[in-house]
Amino acid sequence: MSAQNRKPVKVEDTGHEWDGIRELTNPPPRWWMITLHASWIWCVIYFLLYPSIPLLHSSNEGLLGWTQIKEFKEAVAENDAVKAPYMEKLKAMDASAIEADPELRNFAESAAKAVYGDNCAACHGTGGEGAQGLFPTLADDDWLYGGDLDTITESITEGRMGNMPAHIDAVDDATIQTLADFVLALPEGNATDAGWAAFNDVGCTGCHGDNAQGGALNGDNYAGSVNLTDRIWRFGGSRDDVLRTIRYGVNQEGVEQTRSAIMPVFGEKLSPEQIKILAIKIHAMGGGQ
Amino acid sequence: MSGTRPDEQEYHFDVVKWFAVAAVIYLVVGALVGDFIAWELAFPALNFDNQYLSFGRIRPLHTNAVIFAFGGCTLFATGYYIVQRTCQVPLWSTKMAWFTFWGWNAVIVGAVITFPLGLTQGKEYAELIWPLDILIAVVWLAFMGNFVMTIVNRNVSHIYVANWFFLGMMVMITYLHVVNSLAIPVDLTHSYSIYSGVHDAMIQWWWGHNAVGFFLTAGFLGIMYYFVPKQADRPVFSYRLSVLHFWALMFGYVWLGAHHLQYTALPDWAGSLGAAVSLAMIIPSWGGAINGVMTLSGAWNKLRDDYVLRFLIVSLAFYAMSTFEGPVMSIKTVNALSHYTDWTIGHVHSGALGWVAMVSIGAIYHIVTKLWHREMYSVSLVNTHFWIHTIGTIIYICAMWVSGIMQGLMWRATDEYGNLVYTFAESVSAMHPYYVLRSVGGVLVLIGALMMLYNVVQTIRGAKSPVAQAARV
Repeated sequence: MSAQNRKPVKVEDTGHEWDGIRELTNPPPRWWMITLHASWIWCVIYFLLYPSIPLLHSSNEGLLGWTQIKEFKEAVAENDAVKAPYMEKLKAMDASAIEADPELRNFAESAAKAVYGDNCAACHGTGGEGAQGLFPTLADDDWLYGGDLDTITESITEGRMGNMPAHIDAVDDATIQTLADFVLALPEGNATDAGWAAFNDVGCTGCHGDNAQGGALNGDNYAGSVNLTDRIWRFGGSRDDVLRTIRYGVNQEGVEQTRSAIMPVFGEKLSPEQIKILAIKIHAMGGGQ
Repeated sequence: MSGTRPDEQEYHFDVVKWFAVAAVIYLVVGALVGDFIAWELAFPALNFDNQYLSFGRIRPLHTNAVIFAFGGCTLFATGYYIVQRTCQVPLWSTKMAWFTFWGWNAVIVGAVITFPLGLTQGKEYAELIWPLDILIAVVWLAFMGNFVMTIVNRNVSHIYVANWFFLGMMVMITYLHVVNSLAIPVDLTHSYSIYSGVHDAMIQWWWGHNAVGFFLTAGFLGIMYYFVPKQADRPVFSYRLSVLHFWALMFGYVWLGAHHLQYTALPDWAGSLGAAVSLAMIIPSWGGAINGVMTLSGAWNKLRDDYVLRFLIVSLAFYAMSTFEGPVMSIKTVNALSHYTDWTIGHVHSGALGWVAMVSIGAIYHIVTKLWHREMYSVSLVNTHFWIHTIGTIIYICAMWVSGIMQGLMWRATDEYGNLVYTFAESVSAMHPYYVLRSVGGVLVLIGALMMLYNVVQTIRGAKSPVAQAARV
């Protein structure tokens, strides 16, 4: 087939020419005309079925009675219906009872996955591994505030804000150096008497306890004071890390180099049930203290 | 025929030349910045912790570079070229045309400076700060004034269809740009939109979709209506079709913006209206594609060796495809899945890379040979550009289809207990391979753009291609 063969079926042009371009008088393809009309008819039908026409105060309601809020609520209700039998039990039982019930425990684990992933993982890691120097690890059995279900629930609901005073102004540098050496020596088991003396004199015992084992183990979790006798330290275990923490403290307002340790309040964001299942998940992560 | 055609020399083509070369340069820049941020999404460390290179600041640079720098310069170049040739008069004002060249480039320089500094109005495709918005309006009105007066002075009885599309674009873009950019300045670089809440969102997407509908569609259909019949040396298939789809597009497009805001605070009726009219726009859009492709009837053989024509015709195929895809995505049930996913990004790029870039590239190759009165330096390089650009585009949009639909499905997946199966972060990491693939597609498009720049520069320099030299010996 060549262009020449087609020449005889010549279609008229419009009689105009622009820079050598002509336009033919072909009618639009038939199917195109039909679908063009179908297009505006479709609009009319759609406008009748769905709210589409703005009126003085609101719009037409649409014959199907559709609204996006209704669609949303129906979808939520459908999903709730699947969850309902579990959720009812979940509400009635406390966290330890749920842990003991295999079926509910499965449900809780499935429900907690996305809740944990979307709310907790950003800081504590997808596997609860935390971030050295920044955010505490959840997947070990070392807790700042306590690792039982009730305390975990409290941490999630109320949030936590650690507190350690800055010592740079109140304590002379030699003592701070002694304290740093002491802290580093504690886990090795070779802390000196001079170290213990400085620890007592400066008043570290008030939070870390006489045994330096921290608030959680001593039954006083007010400040989330860390156990100094192991090396599971969220702000790091180098001498510089320790010095900085002693000098500038934790969450000290107006102190530039202070450590930040803030766990947000989730009680307003998550439902009690979501917090319950999170506590179960995190409890399991931490070896279930 | 009415009037006498002026000599080629009487047309003002210098400004066309400058805009055409600028368009090619901005194609390279836009593709480079775009591909860089594509790699950034795949490997976030590539922002080098540098605020000026961060995705949020560079992305508007990419979108503005391709839409307004590349697309804009293409529209100026082809607009000035077409209006003179089809009206058979020189431009009404050469001075005004040069003002638009320097003014438009000043806007682009402004964008390059302000976006990395984080100066933005925060409105998509309307990020530029208010002094630049005013400059855009002034330059644009100068473009329109010059264009209209050239048509008024025409030496032919009727106005050619390509010019209708340009006029439609100019009127609507002025209106859309001014209304959407209305703001109260607080200082030289900051301002507050005069709209608030959902009104602001609606005005923004009324502009946003019509930047696509009028700037990137009507204007480029104008380009198509001149360069397809010209390059194919065939008459336009149907005058009536052109009238019908022109008016259908002009009346229809302005209603679509609301489909960007379904399932939000936007009232139900506005979203439904946007969705219904969107679907009704498939056929008018296809009218343009059909008229372009059917113009080739009886001359299909030309596609075999005319690479410029290939760019133009394949662009129409992408146009038809993305004007089908967009309306489908605006259907409520599809939108519920596709909204906020990469599918949207893929759709935009099938329009931008497939339709706008290809029709522009074809038009610019055509224009370069006409303006400098010589063949392209290397025709085989044009051919390579065609293939590398097409393949890059297809890789890009396929990667985003898979990634986007997967994203949408992962976000809504629930297990037998009715609980969400995936966390958000899991959907992010699942997208990684497709982000890499998309970036590879972008590299191909960038290489193609570089080939084009090289080919155009060599043509202008009057260099002889090695093949041509060999043939001469």
